[in-house]
Amino acid sequence: MQAKHQPRKQNLWQAFLEKSFNITIPVVAILAAFAISGLLILGWGSNPIAAYKAIFQGAFGSPNAIATTLTRMTPLVFTGLAVAYGYKAGFFNVGAEGQLYMGALAATWVGVTFTNWPGWLLVIACFLAASLAGAFLALIPAYLKAKRGFNEVLTTLLFNYIVMQFFAWSLRIDHPMAGVDEKWGLVNWFGIKDPTQPYPKSAFVAEQSWLPSVNSFLKTGFINSIFGGTHWYQASLAEPALERITLAPLLAVLGVIIVFVLMFKTTIGFRARAVGVSPDAARAMGINVSKTILVTALISGTLAGLAGAMEILGTQHRVMERFLVDAGFTGIPVALIGQLHPVGAWLSAFFFGALRAGANRMQITTAVPVAMVYVIQALTILFAIAGTTIELVSYFKKSRMTSLSERAEEERLSLENNEVLDA
Amino acid sequence: MLEFLGIFTTVEFYIAVVQMTTPILLAAMGGLIAERSGIIPFGMEGMMLMGTVGGVIGSGLTDRVEVGLLLAMLAGVFIAVLYAIMAVSVGANQVVTAVALNMGALGLSSLLYVLAFAGGKGEVIEDVIRVRAMPLWKIPVLGEIPFIGKVLFNQYPLVYLAFFMAPVVWFILYRTSWGLKIRAVGEHPHAADTVGIHVLKVRYLTLIVCGMLAGLAGAFLSIGAFNAWQENMTSGRGFIAYTSIVFGRWEPIGAFLGSFLFGAADALQLRMQTQNIQVPFQVMVAFPYIVTVIVLVLSGKSAKWPAASGEAFKRESK
Repeated sequence: MQAKHQPRKQNLWQAFLEKSFNITIPVVAILAAFAISGLLILGWGSNPIAAYKAIFQGAFGSPNAIATTLTRMTPLVFTGLAVAYGYKAGFFNVGAEGQLYMGALAATWVGVTFTNWPGWLLVIACFLAASLAGAFLALIPAYLKAKRGFNEVLTTLLFNYIVMQFFAWSLRIDHPMAGVDEKWGLVNWFGIKDPTQPYPKSAFVAEQSWLPSVNSFLKTGFINSIFGGTHWYQASLAEPALERITLAPLLAVLGVIIVFVLMFKTTIGFRARAVGVSPDAARAMGINVSKTILVTALISGTLAGLAGAMEILGTQHRVMERFLVDAGFTGIPVALIGQLHPVGAWLSAFFFGALRAGANRMQITTAVPVAMVYVIQALTILFAIAGTTIELVSYFKKSRMTSLSERAEEERLSLENNEVLDA
Repeated sequence: MLEFLGIFTTVEFYIAVVQMTTPILLAAMGGLIAERSGIIPFGMEGMMLMGTVGGVIGSGLTDRVEVGLLLAMLAGVFIAVLYAIMAVSVGANQVVTAVALNMGALGLSSLLYVLAFAGGKGEVIEDVIRVRAMPLWKIPVLGEIPFIGKVLFNQYPLVYLAFFMAPVVWFILYRTSWGLKIRAVGEHPHAADTVGIHVLKVRYLTLIVCGMLAGLAGAFLSIGAFNAWQENMTSGRGFIAYTSIVFGRWEPIGAFLGSFLFGAADALQLRMQTQNIQVPFQVMVAFPYIVTVIVLVLSGKSAKWPAASGEAFKRESK
């Protein structure tokens, strides 16, 4: 995008915009959190080393444990990406929780309605529905922010609660189902409840929309013809954990790559980051700030909606009350611990997923309650943002010391760039 | 539909409205003071959670409700001070800090509960532990008034405190020099700083008050209207309290009305669920939020969100 004028390497703007992912802070934060929690566990009368070992084993100790970790982390990757992308552009999306729920609801709705569609089409339709639902929810706060200057933290937060009630309502309205003979009204098309049973739960989405697992991948003729005879192949087929590991974690990695490219290698991402650093400066560069906010929110909402679809198509296959608690809110610390970088978000989602997967084992083997994991998470977040804040402050201090002439030069360059930008 | 309207004819419903309003109102008043000084009180959920467990531990171990209330306040202040260290001294992002503290409080409250009542060591508490709860205080003459007496003047002490706090907070904010300082710090911290107001100190103090009130709000849930503890007992009431503040456009009277609206919706929903009435109660729960969004949109720029709210104050930065 900066083909005509190649600015000096690492000028101030770029140093800040391209500020690469810094792994030191999260690692130190995690270590500090474990150290302090270790003292708490000691005070509890248990051995912290044993407790952490149990968490590790519960998260990675067996194929089944790894499957649990991957399952737990996948929605967090997407909500983390959603928050990180929005935050980069100054759109603080606190509504990922609601967007995730609406995404899951939309995906389930498609999955239980078009049961005769072929698998590939149904999966795409589910993802599309989930993204649209998430994006739509993010769009209203974005519109209010871009056009009327409303704080998006308030509006996205409020939308969460409205959406959660809509979700709870929808769970209690019978969804028109093939084979159930009843007079369906219009209202039923907003419902998701399985009419054949009394609980507020949806039916399972059509089986062809379930994301394929490693197990089903192994069973395909191609793989079978190559490895069919090996002992390793037979052992893998018998491993139940491989049925639980689906395409979803892989799609999460794909999501990270896409967001990375979007954020750092495209004009859309550049504009978003420029608005995030300073809307006024971005405006001076000729960037349409309100349009950028809208686009950013759409992308952020899409990602959060996809988080819900991943959980439905990959793991749970239906919605029910509290089917995925707090994954949206946890996206906020996931993004922030990950230094607002897509790869960082993946890493911190991995950390959170592993902690949650290992918590039960810790409680069983060392008598330290699962609740300790929340404390560890909280401490990690606090240390990470304290570290980041202090680092940023010192960065700003440094930046003020750069001479005025240097700044003027940069401004000239960035203004020259912007004709290319908005071309 | 008639059954649904029938709810409004019972005294119990109005008593429930007052009682459901109380924790929201208490927290909202604390949060309002904090927000007017420039700190978004998202951490109230965590403060309230710690208040619930503080109350139940104090009351359970000593069999005295006063001790429970005191511990609840301390527990709320504990989270508030952590919040202040991060948000005021370090200058970290307030919303993220609050998310972390709410998560931490969720874990810590469970740990403390097990520690207090199972003597640690991994015992699982099977039964619900009943503790002494607050008595009802009947106000002498007023309590005898037929309907109103039962609803308003035969209530728990914290109910009186909550309803009393609304005018008190208004008075503090608009009629005292402290209030002037708080508002100055929330609107123009740099200007306040130049006239010699200690911005950080004011914010610390407002957060401590917020912690005390939110802690009491939590205690109302565990040892006021109820006499036992559950995990995640507040279930989002801290956020509801915050929404009430937004609903009330950052004014004490408005926040009072907001708390009342949320409390009434909550009470209605509860009554409808217990009487198994087939009206979608989700609409009732969502209603106050929808109204809040509408209020927010309609009031537009005239909403008095404290200008400096959510921004860390750094002396040297301009």
